[in-house]
This record gives sequence, structure tokens and C-alpha cells, in this order.
Amino acid sequence: MLKIWFFGRLGDVAGCERFEIPFDRCLVTVACLRDHLCCDNEALAKALNEPQIMVAVNQQLVDWDSNLQQGDEIAFLPPVSGG
Amino acid sequence: MADDIRIQREDFILQAEYDRLRGGGGVGAVVAFTGLVRDFDRGEERGADPVQTLHLQHYPGMTERLVAEIVAEARGRWPIADVTVIHRVGELRPGDQIVLVAVSAAHRKEAFAAAEFLMDYLKTRATLWKKTGAAGGERWVDMNAADRSAAERWQPGDGRESAGG
Repeated sequence: MLKIWFFGRLGDVAGCERFEIPFDRCLVTVACLRDHLCCDNEALAKALNEPQIMVAVNQQLVDWDSNLQQGDEIAFLPPVSGG
Repeated sequence: MADDIRIQREDFILQAEYDRLRGGGGVGAVVAFTGLVRDFDRGEERGADPVQTLHLQHYPGMTERLVAEIVAEARGRWPIADVTVIHRVGELRPGDQIVLVAVSAAHRKEAFAAAEFLMDYLKTRATLWKKTGAAGGERWVDMNAADRSAAERWQPGDGRESAGG
């Protein structure tokens, strides 16, 4: 299993904030997962490929070429706006 | 030296938080900043629909950890005593308290500087997102350029840290 979170506006574009998908060996890196998640959603593809989007694996910010493992929690993070 | 970091739905009582910081030994200054929900968006054109609701989203676990890292960074820059950071999440309305940053220290300069630093970094680094609701619909808030440049001025090389020494 991979646990996926979309925060902020990304949740609206994706249509849900969190869900799980089965782990697949093809999903080698975070970038692979991103491309997999938006292959049939053009608006999400555009939103996730914006340069300011960050990604966290198991709550740590990582690069897009980071490897994924079974059980990982992946969060797509738009620019923050708290405070 | 204690850090008290809370991400919560509940409101907070400023006096109670202030009294707790006041009670520490060696304290000569307490700076407390409270942020309120505005009924207007910065940068919105005049005549825009007033904000009626504010939804605050966070990433449970990661947000608390990032705030703790920001507090640790403040401690590395200034000799401060106790720090309280409370950030509310969930559904809020204009005029509601949204955030508290309170710092105690021996002297005012470091308390002021650390509180301002904490707010600037909180706004630009902690995983929190705002969505406003107005008559015209809902809208996710973007990080604005003023917040970004406010945070950037604390970065090395600008000599700003000496202000707290």
C-alpha cells in the first residue's frame, strides 16, 4: 500500500484529500507516482508539475527522484499559507 | 526553557498563556503576538466580497514537527527562555484568534526578534493552508510575496541576527 495525501488546492483538483493505492514495483520514484496519479487527469497533471509543489515521504521533504517503498506515506504540498 | 507547541481546533486564552510564560525564572520580557482572521484578503481588489469563513488545514504530525524545528532555530539565534506556539485549525470566522506566538526572555530585544522570526517562518515553512469562503465562493490562499520576503530577511548574510544579540 501507498498512502497518498493531497493538501490545499491539490485536494480540490484531485477530487479527494487522501486515499491508498496498492504498491507497484513500477512506482520506483516519487516522480513515477506523480505521473501515475495524474495520467488521466490533465488538471491534476498541470497542478502537480508546478515548480513550487513540494513532496514529502513519511513526513520528510524529499526530491522527486526519491525511491518509494511499500507502506510509504506520500504527501503533495502546495505553497503554505498559515499564520 | 520549555517549548509548548499546539496545533488545535480550540480557541486559546491569551492571559493564561501569558501567565505561564511569566512564571519562568530569569524572565524580564514576554512578547506575545496574536493573529486574527481578517475579513479581507490582502491584494484583493476593492469591493471584493468580505471573507465570511476561513478553513485551516494542516498535516498532522509533520506540521508540529516543522514548528518544533522553527522554534529550535530561533533558540539557536537568540537566548530566549520559554516559547509557546498555538496555531488553530478547522473552521474559523473573521475576528477569531488564529495564531499565538509568545516568547519569554531576559530582555526585550531577543523576545521581540524571536517572536517576529517565528511568525515569519511559521507563515512560510509550516504545512498549513488557508481557504477563505465569501459570497462569491471558496478560494485557497496563496503565500504572498510580502510574507516570503519577510522570511528571507532572516537568512544568513543580511546581518539581521545581530539585532537580537
